[in-house]
Amino acid sequence: MHIEIDEIAKTFGSTTALQPVSLAIPSGALVALLGPSGSGKTTLLRILGGLEFPTSGRVLFDGQDATGLTVQERRAGFVFQSYALFRHMTVFENIAYGLRARPRRSRPPHAEIERRVTKLLELIQLPQIADRYPSQLSGGQRQRVALARALAIEPRMLLLDEPFGALDARVRKELRQGLREIHDTTGLTTVFVTHDQDEAMELADLVVVMSMGRIEQVGRPQDIRARPATPFVREFIEA
Amino acid sequence: MFDGSPEDHIPVPAARTSAWRPVTQESPLVRAVLIAVALGGLAILVVAPLIVVFAEALAKGAGEALRSLAKPEALSAIRLTLIVAAITVPLNAIFGIAAAWTITKFDFRGKAFLITLIDLPFSISPVVAGLALVLLFGTNSLIGGWLVAQNFPIIFALPGIVLASIFVTFPFVARELIPVMIEQGRAEEEAALTLGASGWRVFLTVTLPNIKWALLYGVLLCNARAMGEFGAVAVVSGKIRGQTATMPITIEMMYNEYFSVAAFSLATVLALLGLLTLALKTLLEWRHADQLAATRRH
Amino acid sequence: MALALRLQKSPMPGFGLGMGITLAMLSLVVILPVVALLARGVSYGPEAVWATINTPRVWAALYLSFRLAFLAALFNLVFGSLLAWVLARYDFPGRRLIDAFVDLPFALPTAVAGIALTALYAPNGTFGSIAKSLDGKIAYTQWGILIALIFVGLPFVTRTVQPVIAEIEQEVEEASATLGAGRFYTMRRVILPMLLPAALTGFALSLARAVGEYGSVIFIAGNLPMKTEIAPLLIVIKLEEFDYGGAAAIGIAMLVISFSMLLVINLIQIWSRRRIGHV
Repeated sequence: MHIEIDEIAKTFGSTTALQPVSLAIPSGALVALLGPSGSGKTTLLRILGGLEFPTSGRVLFDGQDATGLTVQERRAGFVFQSYALFRHMTVFENIAYGLRARPRRSRPPHAEIERRVTKLLELIQLPQIADRYPSQLSGGQRQRVALARALAIEPRMLLLDEPFGALDARVRKELRQGLREIHDTTGLTTVFVTHDQDEAMELADLVVVMSMGRIEQVGRPQDIRARPATPFVREFIEA
Repeated sequence: MFDGSPEDHIPVPAARTSAWRPVTQESPLVRAVLIAVALGGLAILVVAPLIVVFAEALAKGAGEALRSLAKPEALSAIRLTLIVAAITVPLNAIFGIAAAWTITKFDFRGKAFLITLIDLPFSISPVVAGLALVLLFGTNSLIGGWLVAQNFPIIFALPGIVLASIFVTFPFVARELIPVMIEQGRAEEEAALTLGASGWRVFLTVTLPNIKWALLYGVLLCNARAMGEFGAVAVVSGKIRGQTATMPITIEMMYNEYFSVAAFSLATVLALLGLLTLALKTLLEWRHADQLAATRRH
Repeated sequence: MALALRLQKSPMPGFGLGMGITLAMLSLVVILPVVALLARGVSYGPEAVWATINTPRVWAALYLSFRLAFLAALFNLVFGSLLAWVLARYDFPGRRLIDAFVDLPFALPTAVAGIALTALYAPNGTFGSIAKSLDGKIAYTQWGILIALIFVGLPFVTRTVQPVIAEIEQEVEEASATLGAGRFYTMRRVILPMLLPAALTGFALSLARAVGEYGSVIFIAGNLPMKTEIAPLLIVIKLEEFDYGGAAAIGIAMLVISFSMLLVINLIQIWSRRRIGHV
């Protein structure tokens, strides 16, 4: 799905989180929102997911205005920084949650839900853990379960907030590859937030560098590296 | 499921511009209903009885209420209740500190069992507690008989009332202190020891300042319960007018003899004490939320 | 003492003193009296204990006490959770004052609560006269007892659940919404299950308190044998008749039933906590 951000701004009380920003995300792209904390990248992601409402501006999905859509209507697969797994549910129940939450007429039958969850567990290469609880999983496993849970609702796009932030360096490298593979398999438009420029450069097709609520530069990783548009970008990618 | 394009199944609904609210909030209507139910329920269940206490005491004017408080029966009840609290609360504070120190500063087998025993009085009816004390210390028991022979009766006398009050307030101080002291750990005490401080000095200069607000909190709750205990005291006191009738017992006697104003006037004194306890407790929670946070989590 | 208090070597001073005070107080005030109660039951003889309990009046009183305590705790489970939610999540004028008032039943002596509730719900009282005009009666019936038991147990559930609500991560609720769940579904499937262990703790505390409650109940109960006579009152009556054996028998019956109930609740709690993992 093609996403267009049209002059989106966001203020919280007297603090400005986002200056009016515009951005077009081509269908099927893997995009990184890169910037230090306070740069507005997470706010932008949450506006895309419908978790925040912009103070002004519009969001367009495939050319249609989606600004007023509720979170539920957006069907954005969202992976939270803390993963936000439901700790009183097994891995299976976590992944099946979005399917079971559907209104009766569009809810798949039980056997279909089981089939889909099994398939997703294979996709994240953890077929054995369906009956475990989140507290019994490692950090990397939790992240992949959160990803599977987001994919279960057949999302129109995938949004990830610092998906590797809570992991140690070794697991992080492994899971980067995992996300790339899942993106390529599903073909979903994917946006992830990160403060780690290596991660953004290695993984993304398109990197959006942000600072102080503004977009500093948008481009392919190699272009940003070769031609930083502003002093901030130069400094940030050299750090 | 990724065989086809997922966009096929569900079309994008038309955008609406109705009032947007965060997904973690209920609609204003639901919110208003819940607040109304909570406040209404609390007003009927909790606030109304409190107001009635004052209204009934003042039913025949403030002068009548004050005169009834000046009667010897009321005065002796107030004095007895103050004496009981003055003995019960310090004993309970000492026990609470000793128990919390032992449980949090040392590792020993049977600790969980010890904590269970300390909590035991919470799950025993005050009347059963009073009964148990009567059976242990009453005149026809072994210990009780001997004590009466030594001219130190426990049941139907002050010591029995104190024991009953300690029983029902037993876990109060310890339960407030234990979580706070677990959270604070042992490092500060250990540091003081390595600097050459004696055990008492460590306790007085390191531990006590760290737990003082939690201790005060526990003492407040203990005091309110000790002054207001009815069931256990009713059983062990014998309800001797002017001698073993505490304030709650005297309220019962006055009420049963249809001295409504007198009963409610004395009740007003206890209700004011309760309100004062609440006010101080709330103040402590606001001012020293950090230290009491551990307490409120358990 | 059956406690195996074997201390691991520690440089911290005060173990002997602390443990000494703890055990001395515990024995004198709690353990010895409870042992005396049980011993009295033994010396009274199991047949005599059973004969005392196995009378219609005692069964009626035990049934009444436990049934109404259960109903009151159930009410408090629902209303207390709602109150905790409102206080933890919504901001409205006077919220902190109201928060403080929740603890009033802890601070108000039971005898005071007892006469106040009676004055309110007696046929000539504020609420009692409303009931009377509708041909109903509250004080001196089981409804009156239920109201008194609700009063004394009200704060427990709120105070155990409130901090848990405050600790729920916002992201968990948001995750539920991004997966398509409406607010009601999130409430039912995500939030309530997370509150359940704490709510059960509050329920158990409220239940234990209500079962043994005496002071706030006897004024409003009417104390009619077989109808509105609670079990603790029967103990008091036996004691006034100097029937110590009979009083001990009923006391032991109450202890046994209370502890079995709390044991069951504890097991449910351990089970529900295990499902949630670390909390």
